[in-house]
Amino acid sequence: MTGALRIDGQELPIEAGDTVLSVAARAGIEIPTLCHDPRLGAAGACRSCLVEVAGEPRLSAACTRKAQEGMVVDTQCERVERHRRNLLALYLADHPAARPLSGSSELFDMADRVGAPRDWGRLESRRDQRVDPNHYVHFDAERCILCARCVRYCDEVEAVNAIALAGRGPETTIATADQRSLLDTSCELCGGCIDTCPTGAMSEKVQLLRGAVEDARLEKVRTTCGYCGVGCQVDLNVDRRAGEGGRVVKVTSPEPGSTVNDGNLCVKGRFAYDFLDHEDRLTTPLVRDAGGVLREVSWDEALDRAAEGLLAVKRRHDAHALGFVSSSRCTMEENYLVQKLARAAFGTNNCHQCAAT
Amino acid sequence: MARETAAPEAEVYGAGSFYHLLRDDGVQLRVCSGTPCRLRGADALLAAARRSGLAAEPCSCLAACDTAPAVLVDRVVQQGIGTAEIEVAARAGELAAQPDREVLRGAIGPEDAPDDSLAIHLHREAEFDGAALQWAGGLGAPAVIDEIEASGLQGRGGAGFPAHVKWRAVREARSLPKYVVLNADEGEPGTFKDREILLRRPDRVLEGLAIAAQTVGAGEVHLYLRGEFETPRRILQEALARFAPVLPRDLVFSFHAGDGAYVCGEETALLESIEGKRGMPRIKPPFPVEHGLWGQPTLVHNVETIACVPEIVKRGGPWFRGLGRSEPGTKLYCISGEVHRPGTYELPLGTTLDELLLAAGGMEGELRAFSPGGASSGFLPASYRSVPLDFGSLAKVGSMLGSAGVIVLSRDADLREALLDQLRFFEEESCGQCAPCRIGTRYLHEAVVGAEAETGAGPRLSRAAEVAWEMNEGSICGLGAAASKPLTSALEHFPEIFAASPGHGGAEE
Ligand SMILES: Cc1cc2nc3c(=O)[nH]c(=O)nc-3n(C[C@H](O)[C@H](O)[C@H](O)COP(=O)(O)O)c2cc1C
Ligand code: SF4
Repeated sequence: MTGALRIDGQELPIEAGDTVLSVAARAGIEIPTLCHDPRLGAAGACRSCLVEVAGEPRLSAACTRKAQEGMVVDTQCERVERHRRNLLALYLADHPAARPLSGSSELFDMADRVGAPRDWGRLESRRDQRVDPNHYVHFDAERCILCARCVRYCDEVEAVNAIALAGRGPETTIATADQRSLLDTSCELCGGCIDTCPTGAMSEKVQLLRGAVEDARLEKVRTTCGYCGVGCQVDLNVDRRAGEGGRVVKVTSPEPGSTVNDGNLCVKGRFAYDFLDHEDRLTTPLVRDAGGVLREVSWDEALDRAAEGLLAVKRRHDAHALGFVSSSRCTMEENYLVQKLARAAFGTNNCHQCAAT
Repeated sequence: MARETAAPEAEVYGAGSFYHLLRDDGVQLRVCSGTPCRLRGADALLAAARRSGLAAEPCSCLAACDTAPAVLVDRVVQQGIGTAEIEVAARAGELAAQPDREVLRGAIGPEDAPDDSLAIHLHREAEFDGAALQWAGGLGAPAVIDEIEASGLQGRGGAGFPAHVKWRAVREARSLPKYVVLNADEGEPGTFKDREILLRRPDRVLEGLAIAAQTVGAGEVHLYLRGEFETPRRILQEALARFAPVLPRDLVFSFHAGDGAYVCGEETALLESIEGKRGMPRIKPPFPVEHGLWGQPTLVHNVETIACVPEIVKRGGPWFRGLGRSEPGTKLYCISGEVHRPGTYELPLGTTLDELLLAAGGMEGELRAFSPGGASSGFLPASYRSVPLDFGSLAKVGSMLGSAGVIVLSRDADLREALLDQLRFFEEESCGQCAPCRIGTRYLHEAVVGAEAETGAGPRLSRAAEVAWEMNEGSICGLGAAASKPLTSALEHFPEIFAASPGHGGAEE
């Protein structure tokens, strides 16, 4: 499809598959969204992206509305702005008054941006809280606005389908089958629900238990996840004021669309960072002395010792008595070097990589 | 279910928990909590049932307001049950649906109308000769659609949309297969006309569906009946067996039972429900004529709309048009509440409330307020009694004909209670998908309750107009758009019922 439409007076070209939202985004026209995530199909559920289409009695959701030749769209008229203020006022009336301790506060930011009134009072709560002993994901039903980003993420990106919308009307909530713990479902604890949630309803348990550090105080350090060879990019969120030279207090994924992992991580990449400061963590090479006691040594000494041992086996039993298995945590380049080591340095073809089978 | 279908467990649970008849809550008896039933002792019945140790719960309108108070046991609506019967049943430790209490037929009228003066004619015996279907076959599809257009038939499900526009769109759609869907979810409080048609004239429904399928080129007809319509479903299935010899042999009829959710009457929620999902309305456009059941072009019609079709085909569009007064055709009006002979009356479209009251044996007491089209139409004061009850005239006065479920209230009725019934109804029946409706319905309900208790929440009532505006503008479907009507109309026409509240000062626009 080609052609053009008019948004806020600007004539804009349409590309195949465009929605009103995608055309506007390309032109730098900001339309507020809550249930939108570029990784997911459009839902039209949160109602924040409603715009006026000339000649139509009802406002239309920009995220689901196909861009059509000749359409005239207004994203800034008083009707649309009044709608945004009222909508956010309703969300806040059904929401805890304070910003979330941990997790996203997109909802509050948007309420500030559109100037939503804060004096509409607070409704009685009617949602059940699920008790879930898993260590990572906490769900606060009170903060949930039912945009279903988490549900759609779990379905469309992870294909895990551990959670779904459940109940009806005021009791609608996000649930697992029979409200079981995530541990007793297909959930892989990837934490993508936390990442996509715009309100902090899905958040990291650890943050809540240890006292979350506000985002403004955290420095993001981009690195490559060390857990496997995929090479997901992660942002270590470092609190410089903690410990010596700072402490990693959480791991987040870079914006969808910006790196190879498209905003996704697995349970290890997102949650398994506690080892960094763990007292059992090995930080220097250790070698056993004659008495069998482990002793701290330099890298050179440790590598010499390993080479000695391997060469001794080769001398006594021939190179084919040696085998080299590399870890799936190695990158491709590292794997290449391991086989080079096996073949060129030790003279054996016995090499393997644990992800090869 | 998840194991059998390989659907994800959470999704199965999520869909099941949407429908109250599927919830595993051990409820033995449901008592309607709609205004007509509460006016006739539903509260006492519920209390008696609970006192007797039965697991009894209130529920939304059961489409039996003419036989109030209505009770549901095993998906069969029962009538004429009093507190005494409840106690007996509870003592016997047994509560099974009783065949002699099934809601079979209510009061209908007019009794002695000539054959050619009514489109549906509830009084006549069902006929299974298929004459109209044959006639339609002879005319050919374009001519049938022209007849429908000439008749001026408007959808009877609530929106009053011109039927021929949908027929033409589905016929012209190029994607195959196509479907015809019957909307028999009848859930609007105060409405029970579709039940009456299904019970008395299943022939008209089946023949209308067959004509529609043949005309738009659909090979399958899907009939969605609300779950509480076990009895109408049985009767419709028996009729189908009798009708089979004259129906096209390759036309497939599939029955679907709802599971207790008013919103599934909204056509796209209904399609989702047939597809086995949570009954959440879809975002439109696209409309069902283009993207309907399983994504295919689909013609969805209300029972009454479809039941008008055979006579239109037989007698011609202009004949049907001539039956109406201010708009085309006759219309089944349901009347309940404080009236002598609550029931279903087929009268010219544009009949006034007074004429309808006369047909139904007259008002009990002096008229104070009425809802012309169920909860979605709000309340009108007695001074509106001569407005023609049609789509256009009621829209002009800020109300709507909707499903023509007329509820009348006398000066003795507690209007504030009636208002709360309707606000509670919308709050509970909202699908919960979009915030303006999910939160707005709760907001309005709590605002009135708060004002009543004088807890200082009264000022919320002053925001009612703004919340209502938002529900209108921001909701996905017609439920959210209509749900503020009871309150806004009460504030406009009956401000005195809020007099006790300190904060309603700024509430009137
Ligand atoms: C909340 C809601 C409930 C509805 N319930 C019903 C219903 O019970 N029966 C019905 O026929 N139409 C109902 N409708 C209207 C349908 O969406 C649709 O307009 C109708 O089935 C189309 O058929 P018609 O053109 O024959 O009226 C409802 C609409 C809304 C918004
Ligand atoms: S308006 Fe209400 S019923 Fe309709 S989609 Fe929104 S929440 Fe559901």
